[in-house]
Amino acid sequence: MTGAGFDPATTAADVIIVGSGAAGSMAAWSLTKAGLRCLMLEAGRDYDPQAEVNMMAPESDAPLRGASTPDKPFGYFDATVGGGWEVEGEPYTMREGTDFRWYRSRMLGGRTNHWGRHAPRWGPYDFKPFSRDGLGVDWPIGYDDVAPFYDRVERMIGVNGGRIELENHPDSPPGCLMPPPKPRIPEMLLKATCESMGIPVRTAHTAVITRDMPDKVAPRSACFNATPCGRGCTIGAMFQTTTSFLPMAKATGRLTIVTDAMVSKVLMASAGRAEGVEYVDRKTGARHKVKARAVIVAGGTCETTRLLLNSGDKPGGLANSSGQLGRNLTDSTGASFRAFVPALAGRPRYNEDGIGGQHVYIPFWLYQEQKRGELDFARGYHFEIGGRFGIPPAAALPRVWGADLKKAVRTASGATIGMTLRGEMIPNKDTWCEIDPGVKDRFGIPVLRFAFRWSQHELNQVAHGQRTAHAVFKRMNATILDPELPPEKLITAGGEIIHELGTARMGADARSSVVDSYGQTWDVGNLVLMDGAIFASGAHKNPTLTILALALRASERLAARFKSGALA
Amino acid sequence: MTQSRRETLQWMMAAAALPLARWSPPANAAAQRTPPPFDVIADWPATLPALPPTKGYGRDPDLMAPRVPWPLTLSKAQRATVDLLGDLVLPADAQSPGAGTLGVGAFVDEWISAPYPIQRKDREQVLGGLIWLDAQSRVLHGATFDSITPGQRAVLLDALTVATPAAGMAKPVAFMDTLRHLFVLGFYSLPEGKADMGYIGDEPTPGDYPGPSPEALTHLTAVLAGLGLAAS
Repeated sequence: MTGAGFDPATTAADVIIVGSGAAGSMAAWSLTKAGLRCLMLEAGRDYDPQAEVNMMAPESDAPLRGASTPDKPFGYFDATVGGGWEVEGEPYTMREGTDFRWYRSRMLGGRTNHWGRHAPRWGPYDFKPFSRDGLGVDWPIGYDDVAPFYDRVERMIGVNGGRIELENHPDSPPGCLMPPPKPRIPEMLLKATCESMGIPVRTAHTAVITRDMPDKVAPRSACFNATPCGRGCTIGAMFQTTTSFLPMAKATGRLTIVTDAMVSKVLMASAGRAEGVEYVDRKTGARHKVKARAVIVAGGTCETTRLLLNSGDKPGGLANSSGQLGRNLTDSTGASFRAFVPALAGRPRYNEDGIGGQHVYIPFWLYQEQKRGELDFARGYHFEIGGRFGIPPAAALPRVWGADLKKAVRTASGATIGMTLRGEMIPNKDTWCEIDPGVKDRFGIPVLRFAFRWSQHELNQVAHGQRTAHAVFKRMNATILDPELPPEKLITAGGEIIHELGTARMGADARSSVVDSYGQTWDVGNLVLMDGAIFASGAHKNPTLTILALALRASERLAARFKSGALA
Repeated sequence: MTQSRRETLQWMMAAAALPLARWSPPANAAAQRTPPPFDVIADWPATLPALPPTKGYGRDPDLMAPRVPWPLTLSKAQRATVDLLGDLVLPADAQSPGAGTLGVGAFVDEWISAPYPIQRKDREQVLGGLIWLDAQSRVLHGATFDSITPGQRAVLLDALTVATPAAGMAKPVAFMDTLRHLFVLGFYSLPEGKADMGYIGDEPTPGDYPGPSPEALTHLTAVLAGLGLAAS
């Protein structure tokens, strides 16, 4: 789907955009609409969901019944192609004692082709964490600065959801959200159980449309309540940039996309001004230089950071006078809890597919207790909820054989519930990424080396989550399927939740941060970062909606600077 | 990422993989172990045929035309024994055929022939177990597993389906645990297996999601009452 735009050999681009994921595609749509010519460089291959997504095939059509493998970690039919936890010839390394996972999608549309679609707004506390608990740093902007962009992004990408009406969980103004789907039976049981215990359960905000979104170029149809969203969506019900922003931006005639273009460094015209970038053609190994009046880097948090660390003429990399580049890396915490609920055994069957993921979730609810000092961790977490008809997990089946096993499967199908924790990690001094001085990828580009450590805050947080989940399960007389574990064994590895953030954080001044609130690097005026790297903290709320809102805000600022002649 | 992938199979497998991979079960006290109903236990095979050099499907396979690129490695006799076991562990009844009759042996063959870490580990258990099963049948009855009587097979399967095996039975019981899980996955992921579970779905339903049926809601009302919970 890359196709024709303008020819970069004869026509100069106004803006180079590195990366075609959430932020890069938002930038392409916003800037081309504003009349600017954009040259997008994507490290991965071209990708067309219409031709490549096998939406309806049963898992039994796939090798190993679609089970997760190192080649396809989220299953055979998963949308991620040419990437995953490892990419051939493109390693990353770790400091001793570190266990970090780095998920890379090498494809047009990046990680929006497979993402969780849980799209909560961040709240006022999430932008001012230091003011609240003295840890980390505040953002230079607050909720009120971002809210108008949340309003617009929710309408642009299509988000369904309901009201939350809880502290630090802002509700959307009327007209922003599409109607949410009805909850399923296990979700209703969980809601009744939790609310009897003072734990709120609310309709989730999910980037799946429940009403058609007509468009001349990229029409999207309302979800038809079937097929796994992780495969990608040929009807465009799930937001991914390959069925929305990218075709829309291309239709302006002002977007040219080059795929298999691995950007190796930012080229400089002078100390404070970028000239363009150098990229390697992944198929031929040839190096190319392209120029523009501004460069946007949105290659994904760690890839963006790597590019800057590998650029410039100083040992610390480009735009790093603060020394913060590569520091403050965070991921979300993760832990999973499951139970067999005898009361649900053999329950009446109905179509429980719905819109794919959870219809309801548990937002963090303990801000007052935390403020009073009653919790042994800072920051919050939420639970995402699972539990559907299907093959029961092995742990929910008795050790029997013969007719009894068949009966047991029928009984247990639909009778398990899962609560999956996602929580905020606070940046710490032992967690960062840097250039490995001794290792290069197959293109000769130095690779990243990670150091990662959870702090006691995160460990205490998942321990609290375990106590909460187990208490909920016990209240519904359920059998807990996993052993009670110490938090170090319970918590996911760094990077495993694929929410890397913070390695080129924004701030109020050049001394303590890499970029301003518009992603503009303090050191290089026409170099703008737009992905999760610029986050000043992680929150427990999934980051993509905020990445999109900040990218829209930054793109409009950049267009205004073009208009005012600031980038002439 | 969230775990909101709809596909139940994938969710369950992912959920199963995460916490348990980090957990080792405590050693059971010897006193609690269940002895098998026979005195002589065959040795677990010392060596197993290696997996021939082969490749997986890669990070960018053709999703529209899925195929298994690795060669299958079970012998005809082994495949037949797996199908026989499939029809014993998940037998035909009024709701569905037996797993072996549906060809679960082909799935197990595909699984244990795959060049991925989990499948390689399962291969050791399944191949070792099939050899052990014939050896133990010979020890007890002088014939391989496919030639002994249904009653004799049942005694063996009972001995392989205990929670806390005696020392010499640990590996054979682990073999049956693995095989049973593979049978469940292989059988219930097929249309016949889904129908057996009464699964409804996998079909486009345009318009607003209708939500639970009246029967399902009535059942939930009773569940909530039984738990002393108010509907919300």
